[in-house]
Amino acid sequence: MSKIALEVKGLVKQYKDLTAVNDLDLKVEAGKIYGLLGPNGAGKSTTIDCVLGMKPYLKGEITVLGLSPTKDRKKLYQRVGVQFQSSFYPERIKVYEICEMISALYKSPDDWRGLLKQFNLEAKSRHYVASLSGGERQKLSVLLALIQKPEMVFLDELTTGLDPKARREVWTLLKKLNQNGLTIFLTSHYMDEVMALCDEVNIINHGVSVASGTPQDIIALSGMQNLEEAYLYFIDEKEMIHGEVAFDIL
Amino acid sequence: MVKSLLIFYKTEFKLAFREFSGVLFGIFLPIGIMLLLGILYGDKLAYENAPYTLLQQSVAAVLTVGICATGLMGVPLTLSGYREKKILKRFKASPASPLLLILAQFLNNMTYAIISSVAVVGIAVFGFGYRMIGNPVLFILSYGLLMVAIYAIGAMIASIAKSEKIANMLCTLFYFPMFFLSGATIPYELMPKGLRFFADIMPLTQGIKLLKATSLGEWQTDSMNAIWILIFTAILGMIIAVRTFKYEYES
Repeated sequence: MSKIALEVKGLVKQYKDLTAVNDLDLKVEAGKIYGLLGPNGAGKSTTIDCVLGMKPYLKGEITVLGLSPTKDRKKLYQRVGVQFQSSFYPERIKVYEICEMISALYKSPDDWRGLLKQFNLEAKSRHYVASLSGGERQKLSVLLALIQKPEMVFLDELTTGLDPKARREVWTLLKKLNQNGLTIFLTSHYMDEVMALCDEVNIINHGVSVASGTPQDIIALSGMQNLEEAYLYFIDEKEMIHGEVAFDIL
Repeated sequence: MVKSLLIFYKTEFKLAFREFSGVLFGIFLPIGIMLLLGILYGDKLAYENAPYTLLQQSVAAVLTVGICATGLMGVPLTLSGYREKKILKRFKASPASPLLLILAQFLNNMTYAIISSVAVVGIAVFGFGYRMIGNPVLFILSYGLLMVAIYAIGAMIASIAKSEKIANMLCTLFYFPMFFLSGATIPYELMPKGLRFFADIMPLTQGIKLLKATSLGEWQTDSMNAIWILIFTAILGMIIAVRTFKYEYES
């Protein structure tokens, strides 16, 4: 039987009157790449925040690598890497300085200089983070999530802002890390990225899971031609499929 | 923890140097005050037939200006600024503890306060012939204790404030009364009785009394009280700072 890296049962998260996540179940096998998909505001980032113990939740059970994110935080963070949707850094910090700081927090971190090389950021090591392009900053935030050689990594919109070449570089690197045993939990709005990377996906809308399975299962279940159409079908945007909205307007 | 603290300290020190406005305040304000007092006081005695000069009486108080600027402005404003800009959020999902983040700021600001103090004493000694009458070791220990107590207040302000704006307000509320009423700028001895009572409530006043007592070699009965008040302030401030530490402000 395969090992479970992440298990979420009946997660409910509320913000005052809004139920951001409603009775969500997730199960991620160790060594797999799992994609959580959904429109903006669907509850993807909130789910990640709850799973990592960053935000309290109303109901549910969460286990990450056999640990509780609320009770075993320190142990968990030694083994789990995180890249948030938006990363912020001190104004005048340089790339190598933030790498040194993050690296110093872990017991047996990876060589961050090697990671800079793999991410094609080596030449930027002594540059201010603020002077990097959007894509370079995004690559840096993914790199920082990998610095402690995690067993599992959470990547929230991992390639937003990257050009097509850089996106493919990141995919190749993540695939390689995954082949070496890294479990990856990601969110993305790019369906080509999901097709290229994910073994399994879960589509959520208004905090509720509406479809889950392999990308091929999702396509088959929807009766559509590809994942993008299947995704639109499941988030109840059927009119968007085949550009029908544009057609209607015209 | 030690390894990560040293790296965080080194980086924060460089960041503060690049920022420079805070450093400027923490280092050069006490130097400016020292120069002014040195010129004004010359070698005047503190009072008729006093065993020490006005300058010898004032050096200890001037040193605390740097402690206050770094501890009540540098520490809380940096931490609350990081929180407001969501820089600390990253550390919430890491093994970094609140204590590590607070101590890194302590060490960074302490370095600047010590640089300022060395410069102030240097100017006093070489510019105006200052000599410490009391025991320098006791003086340094008292200086360290006062520094920890003031920094603990700064860290507490950073933790309890619910926004950067409130942190700014609290800093002003703590900094300026302490700055003007504790004897750091206006000598305690010149204050009217009513104002002295108010000044005595402030930990900085106790610290300045202790520094004066150790630098002038006049150990007084209330010196021990000052030590206990500063230890109590340091412990309570740190407990509140760590317990109420937030990585991000609630939106």
